[in-house]
Amino acid sequence: MSFRSQQTRRKFLKTAVAVAAAPYVITSNALGQGDVPPASDRIVMGGIGIGNQGSSDQGAFLGRPDVQYVAVSDVRESVRKAAKERADQHYKNSDCQTYGDFREILARDDIDAVHIATPDHWHAIMVIEACRHGKDVYCQKPETLTLREGPLMIDAARRYARVVSGGSQRVQEDYKELVARCWGGELGAIKSINVNVGPLSQLCNLPAETTPPDIDWEMWLGPAAWAPYNAARCSGSFATDGGSWRSYVDYSGGGMTDWGAHHFGGATFAIDVRELQPVEIEYHNDPEGKHLTYKYANGVLLHHNRPKTENLVVEGTPGEKRPAKPAPTYKGEGGIYGDFINCVKTREKPFRDIELAVNTVAVSHLGTIAYQLQRSLKWDQAAQEFPGDEEANRFLDRARRQPWQL
Amino acid sequence: MLSNALEALKTYDWGTDRAVLAPIDEAVISTHDDEVSRRELEASLAAVLATPVSRDAKDYVCRKLMVIGTAASVPALALLLPEEEHSHMARFALARIPAPEAAAAMRDALASLDGELKVGVISSLGARGDEASVPALAALLASGDQQIARSAALALGDIRNAAAAQALAAAKPADPAVMRAVVDGRLACAERLLDSGDKSAAMAIYKPMLGADQPKQVRLAATRGMLACAGQKE
Repeated sequence: MSFRSQQTRRKFLKTAVAVAAAPYVITSNALGQGDVPPASDRIVMGGIGIGNQGSSDQGAFLGRPDVQYVAVSDVRESVRKAAKERADQHYKNSDCQTYGDFREILARDDIDAVHIATPDHWHAIMVIEACRHGKDVYCQKPETLTLREGPLMIDAARRYARVVSGGSQRVQEDYKELVARCWGGELGAIKSINVNVGPLSQLCNLPAETTPPDIDWEMWLGPAAWAPYNAARCSGSFATDGGSWRSYVDYSGGGMTDWGAHHFGGATFAIDVRELQPVEIEYHNDPEGKHLTYKYANGVLLHHNRPKTENLVVEGTPGEKRPAKPAPTYKGEGGIYGDFINCVKTREKPFRDIELAVNTVAVSHLGTIAYQLQRSLKWDQAAQEFPGDEEANRFLDRARRQPWQL
Repeated sequence: MLSNALEALKTYDWGTDRAVLAPIDEAVISTHDDEVSRRELEASLAAVLATPVSRDAKDYVCRKLMVIGTAASVPALALLLPEEEHSHMARFALARIPAPEAAAAMRDALASLDGELKVGVISSLGARGDEASVPALAALLASGDQQIARSAALALGDIRNAAAAQALAAAKPADPAVMRAVVDGRLACAERLLDSGDKSAAMAIYKPMLGADQPKQVRLAATRGMLACAGQKE
């Protein structure tokens, strides 16, 4: 089988980076066309998926004086209407346009950037298509639903020189003390860290309910397997125990990816392996429970649900203090949203650049596959495959429902 | 009991007890090192696809065949490709079954399918990187169905070999959405060429994309690619 290797992309990116930082910071102005506003101008934005977390994101961007928020897209009419009213009230006009189909927002040449907060099964399609349309993107976490999606999203961002930020604010904001201790050298050489997070998502066979007229159900399902409407199936709540789409495998990786994006993101940042993906995932089935040990090429270990171990406990070598190194942080003011907007202006990579976000969610996906297969795995980050493991490689991706395609 | 679980598939549907299928879930994993048992399980599951069970039951079977399916399951899955309700889940399995017969079944289906079902098959062949599909996909670039032409362009960009690059270079679609996909595919091919060290071929793709008639992001992509060409070590 000739599943496409990702080595092409990796080599290309290395070459491009080696040329200079320049390719990433090119703007249209550099090409002699002044169609990109100067940094002092407002970034024109639209939002895709505006319920729940999307509403929170909309509020954050609306509150920024350097953003002009002009359009919303959602599969629920009531959500579109509420989001438009919010924007119109903010600007005291009636300019915000509403769309049931996200492609109408992407087709607007006047929009510079979009934020995406749909269920996870839509993220890759939307991010990649947004890049093809020249939009910068703030995409909520978890950014991917399958391993194959990540490199393709990075490809699209780099190919079109787009700023694409992942969405976990907690990576920077919740783990500051831990990051300071690790990067400050206080803990010496880091041996391991433990993350407690879960559960995995499950197959959903909830019964059919009458589809409310408010929702475009076919569009909600999009690339996911067809299934009948059920309120819990598509609830945007944060439940991972059956009460929301975050519980179900066609739309989410469950708590393993949802909170995993935060905890694994914070952990891999703290121990400074966020640019890497694990090379081995050891599966343990002890009397104390099932748990994992991820191994990185530099020898650092990342435990998942290690028995009798608290979340984010770091094992270092305290007697061997290391020189402090400066930890990366947000650029600009206003948290992760400000970081994104600042980078849209400067064309720098954001704190949660899509490649780092993809690496984080890859930890979740790799662990999920190990738990599903109930065995240990080896992983080749460059090739993006489980070397010689035909069974595990089947889990790299899943076919999307027609007509949706990456 | 596995036999009970297989029997339960006859009445399984949305809203019924999911737990009755647990023995099948367990058998899919536990037969990892037991080829004979796994092939028996595969045959039992594939046989269900030809019976009048619910859509949810067939979906479930396809999910399991995605994990354990071989060439032996391909005929049963291929029969579902033209069926509106089952085409996607048939691809769910076929797209991930490594046997070349799985790709061949999807290629064969291209000729008889139309509309969105055809788009689905095209996308799965592309995601699979199926080089044998290139001639068929190249012909579809000129399809009058915008969705099919666009899908073929994206699939060729996924495959990104020399033949795919040639087909995309020859495409002159009038539809902007198809053209966007063709350009994206060509850029993917250029990246592959760069990787292989063929800078002149990559430059030949990038250079015309610098024109003022191209969208901003395409000119950025071309500029970035040309800079990468300039920095490539011999």
